[in-house]
Amino acid sequence: MQITTLTLIIAAMAAGAFYFGRERSLSVASGPSRMQTLHSLPGYYGYYTAIWALLPAMGLLLAWNLIEPRVIVGLIVQGLPDAEQSMSPGELNLLINNIRNLANGDIVSGEVGTVLQDAAARYLEYANTGRWMLAVLTIGLATLCASLAWRRITPKFRARNHVERVISGLLIAASSIAILTTIGIVMSVLFEAIRFFREVPLSEFLFGLNWSPQTAIRADQVGSSGSFGAVPLFTGTLLITGIAMFIAVPVGLMTAIYLAEYSSARIRTITKPILEILAGIPTVVYGFFAALTVAPVVRRAGESMGFEVASESALAAGLVMGIMIIPLVSSLSDDAINSVPRAMRDGALALGSTRSETMTKVILPAALPGIVGGILLAVSRAIGETMIVVMAAGLSANLTANPLEAVTTVTVQIVTLLVGDQEFDSAKTLAAFALGLMLFLITLGLNVLGIYVVRKYREEYD
Amino acid sequence: MAKRSMRSVIVASTLASIVICGDAFAQSGRDYVYIVGSSTVYPFATVVAERFGRGSDFKTPKVESTGSGGGLKLFCDGIGVDYPDIANASRAIKQSELAMCASNGVAEVIEVKIGYDGIVVANAIAGREISLSRQDIFLALAKEVPGGADGDLIENPYQTWQDVNSSLPAQRIEVLGPPPTSGTRDAFVELAMEGGCKTIPWIAALKNEDGDKYKAVCHTIREDGKFIEAGENDNLIVQKLEANPSAFGIFGFSFLDQNAEKVKGAAIDGTVPTFDAIADGSYPVSRPLYFYVKKAHVDVIPGLRGFLREFTSERAWGEEGYLSDRGLIPMPTVERKAVANAVSQLTPLAVAEK
Amino acid sequence: MSGESTVTTRSKVERSLGKRRRKESIFRILGIASTLVGVLFLLVFFWTLIGQGSSAFLQTFIEIEVEFSEDILAPAGELDLAYADFDAIARNALREKFPDVTSRSERRELNQLISVGAGYQIKDAIAGDPDLLGTTLLMQVPAAANVDMVLKENIDRNLGEDRRPISDSQLEWIDALIADGSLVSKFNVALFTNGDSREPELAGIRGALMGSFYMLLITVALAFPIGAAAAIYLEEFAPKNRWSDLIEVNINNLAAVPSIVFGLLGLAVFINWMSIPRSAPLVGGLVLSLLTLPVIIIAARAAIKAVPPSIREAALGLGASKMQVVFHHVMPLAMPGMLTGTIIGMSRALGESAPLLMIGMVAFIVDVPAGFSDPATALPVQIYLWADSPERAFAERTSAAIIVLLGFLLVMNLAAVIMRKKVERKW
Repeated sequence: MQITTLTLIIAAMAAGAFYFGRERSLSVASGPSRMQTLHSLPGYYGYYTAIWALLPAMGLLLAWNLIEPRVIVGLIVQGLPDAEQSMSPGELNLLINNIRNLANGDIVSGEVGTVLQDAAARYLEYANTGRWMLAVLTIGLATLCASLAWRRITPKFRARNHVERVISGLLIAASSIAILTTIGIVMSVLFEAIRFFREVPLSEFLFGLNWSPQTAIRADQVGSSGSFGAVPLFTGTLLITGIAMFIAVPVGLMTAIYLAEYSSARIRTITKPILEILAGIPTVVYGFFAALTVAPVVRRAGESMGFEVASESALAAGLVMGIMIIPLVSSLSDDAINSVPRAMRDGALALGSTRSETMTKVILPAALPGIVGGILLAVSRAIGETMIVVMAAGLSANLTANPLEAVTTVTVQIVTLLVGDQEFDSAKTLAAFALGLMLFLITLGLNVLGIYVVRKYREEYD
Repeated sequence: MAKRSMRSVIVASTLASIVICGDAFAQSGRDYVYIVGSSTVYPFATVVAERFGRGSDFKTPKVESTGSGGGLKLFCDGIGVDYPDIANASRAIKQSELAMCASNGVAEVIEVKIGYDGIVVANAIAGREISLSRQDIFLALAKEVPGGADGDLIENPYQTWQDVNSSLPAQRIEVLGPPPTSGTRDAFVELAMEGGCKTIPWIAALKNEDGDKYKAVCHTIREDGKFIEAGENDNLIVQKLEANPSAFGIFGFSFLDQNAEKVKGAAIDGTVPTFDAIADGSYPVSRPLYFYVKKAHVDVIPGLRGFLREFTSERAWGEEGYLSDRGLIPMPTVERKAVANAVSQLTPLAVAEK
Repeated sequence: MSGESTVTTRSKVERSLGKRRRKESIFRILGIASTLVGVLFLLVFFWTLIGQGSSAFLQTFIEIEVEFSEDILAPAGELDLAYADFDAIARNALREKFPDVTSRSERRELNQLISVGAGYQIKDAIAGDPDLLGTTLLMQVPAAANVDMVLKENIDRNLGEDRRPISDSQLEWIDALIADGSLVSKFNVALFTNGDSREPELAGIRGALMGSFYMLLITVALAFPIGAAAAIYLEEFAPKNRWSDLIEVNINNLAAVPSIVFGLLGLAVFINWMSIPRSAPLVGGLVLSLLTLPVIIIAARAAIKAVPPSIREAALGLGASKMQVVFHHVMPLAMPGMLTGTIIGMSRALGESAPLLMIGMVAFIVDVPAGFSDPATALPVQIYLWADSPERAFAERTSAAIIVLLGFLLVMNLAAVIMRKKVERKW
């Protein structure tokens, strides 16, 4: 908590710097009445000084905290007797942990020898010195930078431009985090995926019709088939997604139409948030509901009609997933419908068409790009959904289009492959990363498609 | 008005980030035991962890459920506070994993066998009482079964249990079981399927002639939808069985034990899965469970030795211990003593020369 | 000519009018029906959930006369908190009520009626007040989960003895306890004050709640400012070129990337590369921040877009700089919209569990986390773990935890709705 205090002190100093910077600008302009001689508003001079008080000191604080533990550990190790110094890095790490626990007053394991006690005492000493050094350095730096900035304040000084440059730098940094995330995602699955493709050819993975990672768990077993054709996984995903969309698109769209066109304002304000709860229910919860409530109902209904239904049918998972996606479709369609200019709607009504005709012949065609974009987003949400299918859809990779059979999806396979009991570096585990990469590429493709559709067919009315 | 609310939001979020930054950097050592591994051992390890944590001054160990493979991978990554002290496994560690451990500096690993877990084939109480032989299980679930003549293998044609064995009911074969990534599946295949497979003379003879083929025949489960891979959540399997009385499920004995009013275990080779039958070895399908400890961490991580002592104490894994209440089948007294002794001496596993 | 054609058009229209009206009403009914589908599902859903979970908010306690015996607590003359057999005190107290239970196996069965939590409670009592030594005190200690289940009728007494987890003689004792009023049902405080436990009667969600709380704190502190800043940049400052197109596609794509892939990212970057400890709320918070960032950026951009250009033009016309326009005029107007987006992002983060599977948060953690680097789980993960427990009593606790989680989500959604009321202004 020491660091928290220090951060608060620096923040307070920045606030002070703001005040002094502002005052200084007013005084160099010789009083508030002659403010117009200043280049920028007085507040900007304040911000300028505050930024100089805050940023360098915070940077130092961050860097110090990253480096300090390493330095202290290095110093401690140097001070240890030779016997301890020659230990392997892992053992040394454990010893340091013990020293830390001792220093913090936590329970220590084993006997506490003089070496340990000595080291713990030194640890405390270093940590204490470090803390004081840090406090002096950061506060000093903040004071120094702020006063330098303070001295630069003259009526001609372009404080606003400086402040705005810093802010726009921050804005650019924030928006590039999205790019970094994507790079991170690709990097974190790419290497393992490449290792997988070294063992299993890409063509087999992409076009193989048989997914059965029954390779041996232990070395002395001979695995059975062990084939990694991902086609059944993708058709399974497609089947479940298809069922979900079969529910979500008509229901979601009709809901949006009803709420936008027919319902009273009161019903709309009540219903819309209620429906949005559907999107907020955790998927784990949906998963249990699908597996325990919906699946048996589907099975009983199917069997009473004379169908053979697997207890883990694609239908149950798809139905529940469809319900989960309804609000996504409906709220995005709602936005698209509402963005169609009123004039078009009023025009159609004035010509004597009924509301439903206005909707289907005028508004929907105009809103279509937005609706399609929303549906594509819903599709990628369905493809990426994990917990519902983990619980309700089972793991059998069947190549089938029958919604009453059990199928599996890509995300389910990723989870089971990564938390299984098999050896970790086997093709089985690596396959999870290859599947992750494929999933990423597919959603990317869908998105590019969506943006293309929206851009190409968007009607500009405004 | 709006402007003021904006400012207060900004101030609040800045303060929050300050507090977070301060805390995130707080340095402290690890003062608890860190356990990873199999989801099958998880229910037992957590009970011991909790009792140990509450009964001693040490913190309660952290038990992660990662699967045996993922757990051993983390375990073998190195020595130090960032790595787990103990890995639970529903199978024995592999030589290749031991070698990986050794290459990362984890030279001495202590193996602790904690007891047995029975694997049961169960159906809903509403379903029929059924008695299977291991041969029935093999014929019902294998991908390929013997055809007419010796040496002939045909794609499994059996649709109902009666097709397999005329004394069984004419009920569609539908078995919910663990996926191939699971240790439970592995043990089931080895004990039940191979056990049944061996009873067919020409396949048994194959074992010496062509070991690979023998295993391929005995270990491959059919993939035509009669065997449904149902994930590792055994509770869900129990509930799905309840909803579907004609289906059978394969899972650990502890779930049967806890859900005795919903599901019942089928007799295998004439023996009904009960606590005693598994303990005395007359029930054929049971497997040992293990955990592995890093010797280098004992006496360095606070509480690790105490945790080991608790786990290997009679009140935990003994015949009347609290683990047996949870469905862990204890080892015979002699074996328990031997393992407990090895643990207190910290005798590491030998890395085989290969 | 023209008059005749008007007549035919008119009659045509009139003839088709009935059909058109029918179509109209069918369309309308379809609309109402689909709206009802969602609402009805929600009702059914909450109904089943409350039906299953509400009983977990009550818990059975046994009232026993606890004797803080010096023989057990202070065998060496001194109070020995570390090694004294507190369970034995609880057992003795229960045995007092049934003096005729003598055989070893019967006593064992009797002991099973009482939770191991009784020992902890006795320990806490004497630790808090050492003067209790040698006295007796009437205490209400938790009953074992199976007793609780019998009282809640989740265990069917009519089944055969081998089918239920509780024996005939145990049932008899329970009946006797009910008869003399020693079994009391109280609000299950433990559910909200305890961390995880393998004993259902002691298990609570406090640890998971705190874990979720810490993660959301990090998510808010990171995702909101960064998301808002990115949205401002993209909407107001970014030059329209390939690069900003790329960022745009990229952000839309990130909003659609399966959450489990974010888990893989967290594992690779934060745990393996930056070596932040596994299971720490810090890692979870970082992953959830990245996960919600695109949601917030998209919502914030929409909010900024909705501010009419006239406001910008007016400000620019009065000589404000671009930066001043944005921060003094656009931002305050867009803020409610941005906050709505943030709350929706947060409620998604609260319910997210798939990425947490990958970063070691699926763990048994008894101690309630006290900071950002202590090991922790999250509420949805706790639900997942409890649902997987073999003990019967965890089923209702799973539902109870779900109810709590949904309660939080409802509050957050409500906040978003109220905010949106502010933002839904027509220009």
